[in-house]
Amino acid sequence: MIAANNTSYLALIKPGWKFGALLVLSIALYLINSWTVLLSIFIVSVVLLLTARVNFKQIRLPLISLAVILSVVFILLGIQTDWLNALRSVLRLLTMCLLAYSVSLTTKFEAMLELFQQVASPVRFVGGNPAQIALALSMTIRFIPELKKVYVEVREAQHARGLANNPLAVTVPLVIRSLRIADETAEALDARGYDSEPAAFRR
Amino acid sequence: MELPSIHLENVSVRYGDRDVLKDINISLNEQRIGVIGANGAGKSTLSRLLNGLVLPTEGSVRIGDLTTSQHAKQIRRQVGFVFQNPANQIIMPIVSDDIAFGLKNLSLPKAERTQRVNETLHELNISHLADRESHTLSGGEQQMVALASVLAMRPETIIFDEPTTMLDLRNRLAFQHEISKLSQRAIVVTHDLEILEDFERVLVITDGTVAFDGQPADAIAHYRQWSHA
Repeated sequence: MIAANNTSYLALIKPGWKFGALLVLSIALYLINSWTVLLSIFIVSVVLLLTARVNFKQIRLPLISLAVILSVVFILLGIQTDWLNALRSVLRLLTMCLLAYSVSLTTKFEAMLELFQQVASPVRFVGGNPAQIALALSMTIRFIPELKKVYVEVREAQHARGLANNPLAVTVPLVIRSLRIADETAEALDARGYDSEPAAFRR
Repeated sequence: MELPSIHLENVSVRYGDRDVLKDINISLNEQRIGVIGANGAGKSTLSRLLNGLVLPTEGSVRIGDLTTSQHAKQIRRQVGFVFQNPANQIIMPIVSDDIAFGLKNLSLPKAERTQRVNETLHELNISHLADRESHTLSGGEQQMVALASVLAMRPETIIFDEPTTMLDLRNRLAFQHEISKLSQRAIVVTHDLEILEDFERVLVITDGTVAFDGQPADAIAHYRQWSHA
């Protein structure tokens, strides 16, 4: 989940601190066994999300999906182990997800990429290029909805031709159209001055 | 604004055994230039030659003192390109980040990037789209964002490859209006003949050659005649 502009107090905190805190808290949640403490932290995470000035329309659907998944987890764990243990597990997962939403929805995507580039900077020592990895990551996020759109179009076209349940009939045009998108996007990258040549090889 | 001349000298482009463009010799100095022709005639290849996305198999393409075969990177800073399908041109998930992408490639400082992004969005009256996720934009909005991402880089020439093909009438008119306002040179490859009415010069490309070169009305008449033949 990405956000462009958030004006809450959480947006003022540096991304490194927020993601660091999220990591530490997520680990700490698994060291805590008291359900009352877990419940308190869960309430704090709810308060954080409610006060983070996020667009609730944007997270309504993910929250509903999360509730459904965690309900299944709660029931299965409750049957397999005991209900208190199931409650603890669900509280941990729910708290982590809400904290992650609070962090990601109050951090500009560009700032997240910059942080990712910093974290990935050691890959330089093994010949990697953090900027290229960050670009690949952002383009993955950018093009997932586009590929989904292409998939729906291809599937509709195949349905119209009576090829409703033929995975090959969907896969082949999907791959071909994806490659065409990749080709055009590569041209666009060139046209917009992106230098894909690693620094070490630049003349 | 003093615009550098574009010269194509004995330019041919070949893909395998197929001659896509054959011995093109033209100089482009006007501010509004249209390129029309049938599908597969070589229009898109011609447009891609002008900013070094395609290099000539023979001959040379010069923009001012620079040639595309030797100075493609510098030329791409001067010559922007708006593609037919804006969805494939928008690289970043957030609109303002996408417009800033090209500026980052120009190594501009962050403050200047932000200023240019805001200015360009304001110029095109799309400031309200700044924080939108790219995939949620309509076709018309995506084309405006694609134009903004090119304009922000302040090129001297902008090439449009069939920019209105995927737009409805309202968005087409809006986009046409934006093109007419540009201070830059605009070279528009199109099937939309109405766009070309106010242009200074129109090239008709047929089978990889410039079949006609002149005023829009004459060029369109020539193209219509050729299409009916």
